[in-house]
Amino acid sequence: MGKIFIIIQREYITRVRRKSFLITTLLAPLGFFLLIASSVLISTFSQGKTHVAIVDESGLFKDIPIPDADDQSVYFHRVTENYDDLLSEVTKEESAKYEALIFIPADFNVNTPNNPAIAYRYVKRPGMIKQQFINQRMTDVLQKLRMKMLQVDEQQIEDMQQKVKLNFESLDNSKEKQGYTDAAAIVGMVMGFAIYISLFFYGTMIMKGVMEEKSNRIVEVLTSSVQPFQLLMGKILGVGAVGLTQFVLWIILMFGVNLFSGVLFGIAMGSGAGMGELKNSGLDADDLLIVTQNLSALPIAQIVILFPLYFLGGFFLYGSLFAAVGAAMGEDGDQQSLMVPITIPIIISIFIAINVINNPDSSLGFWGSIIPFTSPIVMCALLPFRPEWWQILLSIVLLIGGFVLTTYVAAKIYRVGILMYGKKIKMSELVRWIFSKG
Amino acid sequence: MSQLALRHIVKKYGDYIASDDVSFEIPKGKIFGLLGPNGAGKTTLIRMITRILYPDSGSILFNGEILSDKHTERTGYMPEERGLYKKMKVGEHLVYLARLKGLSGADAKKRVNEWLEKFEITNWREKNIEELSKGMSQKVQFIATVIHNPELLILDEPFSGLDPINSKLIEDEIHHLSQKGVTIIFSTHRMEQVEEICDEIVLVNKGRKILEGGVKELKQQFKENKFRVSYSGEILNGFLDKLQVVSRNNGELEVKFEEEHHGNDLLKLLVEHNVEVTSFNEILPSINEIFIRQVQAN
Repeated sequence: MGKIFIIIQREYITRVRRKSFLITTLLAPLGFFLLIASSVLISTFSQGKTHVAIVDESGLFKDIPIPDADDQSVYFHRVTENYDDLLSEVTKEESAKYEALIFIPADFNVNTPNNPAIAYRYVKRPGMIKQQFINQRMTDVLQKLRMKMLQVDEQQIEDMQQKVKLNFESLDNSKEKQGYTDAAAIVGMVMGFAIYISLFFYGTMIMKGVMEEKSNRIVEVLTSSVQPFQLLMGKILGVGAVGLTQFVLWIILMFGVNLFSGVLFGIAMGSGAGMGELKNSGLDADDLLIVTQNLSALPIAQIVILFPLYFLGGFFLYGSLFAAVGAAMGEDGDQQSLMVPITIPIIISIFIAINVINNPDSSLGFWGSIIPFTSPIVMCALLPFRPEWWQILLSIVLLIGGFVLTTYVAAKIYRVGILMYGKKIKMSELVRWIFSKG
Repeated sequence: MSQLALRHIVKKYGDYIASDDVSFEIPKGKIFGLLGPNGAGKTTLIRMITRILYPDSGSILFNGEILSDKHTERTGYMPEERGLYKKMKVGEHLVYLARLKGLSGADAKKRVNEWLEKFEITNWREKNIEELSKGMSQKVQFIATVIHNPELLILDEPFSGLDPINSKLIEDEIHHLSQKGVTIIFSTHRMEQVEEICDEIVLVNKGRKILEGGVKELKQQFKENKFRVSYSGEILNGFLDKLQVVSRNNGELEVKFEEEHHGNDLLKLLVEHNVEVTSFNEILPSINEIFIRQVQAN
């Protein structure tokens, strides 16, 4: 153990002392906010404006309003010009007033709205989202037209379309307020992503460290002083300590930022949860308020204890495998393909996690939170939904078993790999090393 | 008691036999040459002695005890393929390696200072390893190998990449350590160094031991009763017909004499035939010749 500690010390000190550590520690939160800001900007600017001329030869729609898109991406213009003139203008002139035409034929029949169909004719193809929007808008317009024909008045329509908002209330937890599920989803996703990113980040750090030792041949000197297993554990624990330090610093930085602006906290929470996903699910500022209101209802104690546990569990499980891959790789770091068996389960985990926050009771979520290769990410996403205690216990026991197994396997590969030079290693060979007796 | 004894060591990689029933002993305080062509299995043997690898069967005794991890702290190993962490400073790197060999932090620092002073390189202490030339880092590597005062020192091609001055420095240090009683295993391809430095050798080829013994004894054992005679004046042709002449030019004669005879007999014969002998030497084979002959015969 003494020697492992000396190795941990070196791994820790040389890494923390590097400029790159300081830079990533300081800039990662900044980068995080830039990412959020850019994703907002991208979604704003990615939508070009489209002006659509509507030629209504049927005349049926003339009194029905056709509102423009809220996000200013599509404008509708009712025109009286001749269709053929317009068409030639749109196709020939680059500076045409309209980018596309909607043509409602004279014999349009409200009872068979698709025969003859309304045509949308364009030069520049609208994207999928725009197509969906335009289609939906025309469907709404048709609905209004039919209501009018049935002589249902505006007020009646509005009365008919009233929405209910159910109060979802927990029977066993009075602290859960309206919107708890949203809060749980966001917190779960943030934790899942944090583990996802750190597995790759620190896993690669371990792998590169092993490759460095192999390619500069110091490993031969080291292994004549310490057991390869000690070297492996020292490296994993040392990088783990670097990771924890960085996490703590980030949390401190986040709170520092939070002092300046309470709003930032909300934004950070909202967008950390996987950028697009949550935005698509329609979260806005009000929802974020609901989230902060619900924070006290979250199983904080459980999260505080279990999140670091799963972080470490996942880190050990995958860290040793990354080390094994580093040892098996060629000195010049080729054979990236050896990484595939490690990266795939991590990526699958995050997909399961995204699914789990929408369906916390699904069997996919259950199995994902039990199987050691996916449980660190999936269980963390699931924690705010209060999984059964036996499920957590089983998951932890299997996770411990899992990392004991992967460490054993990795140590075997590592032992042989670090001293193997100038040879391309096939996957089948790795398997043989695992079953060799040292 | 010998410092190290290898008994019937077998090591296989799959179907490939890297060590095939190898046994030899290394006496305490001697400089021992481990020789063999490329791929003979030298590195595998060394790696088993340093416990990087374990033999499939057979045993290794260190001072009469079964070799175990505790002995690695009493062994120093400088591999042929060597390296250091590029981003570490010379001083802290040496302290790190010394601590891995079981020295306390304070002891390690003290010894590092002593060695840096001894090699007159104290100004390197704060230098990054990547700033060093190959020869410079070789020196650092040598210090790292001996800093914990090992009883057994294993040097794999220690002179490669060193200029003559630094080679001499290391060679002197090897002799110095040997005088202090350190057992040294010296692995090399350079046979002239073996003759200069080693007391005993073992020769391996294709995983098998094919020869072992003292350098002097082996030269005697493999001598072919060849002699070099320098003379002045003429030699009667009839006389030379009785001998097996290997070469003859400019008053120098190389002859092979019948095995059962001694050099004195040849000298006597020369004197009897009125040859004016100015010098008379027995030609002993170089270790290089023995090496090549044995490897080819295998």
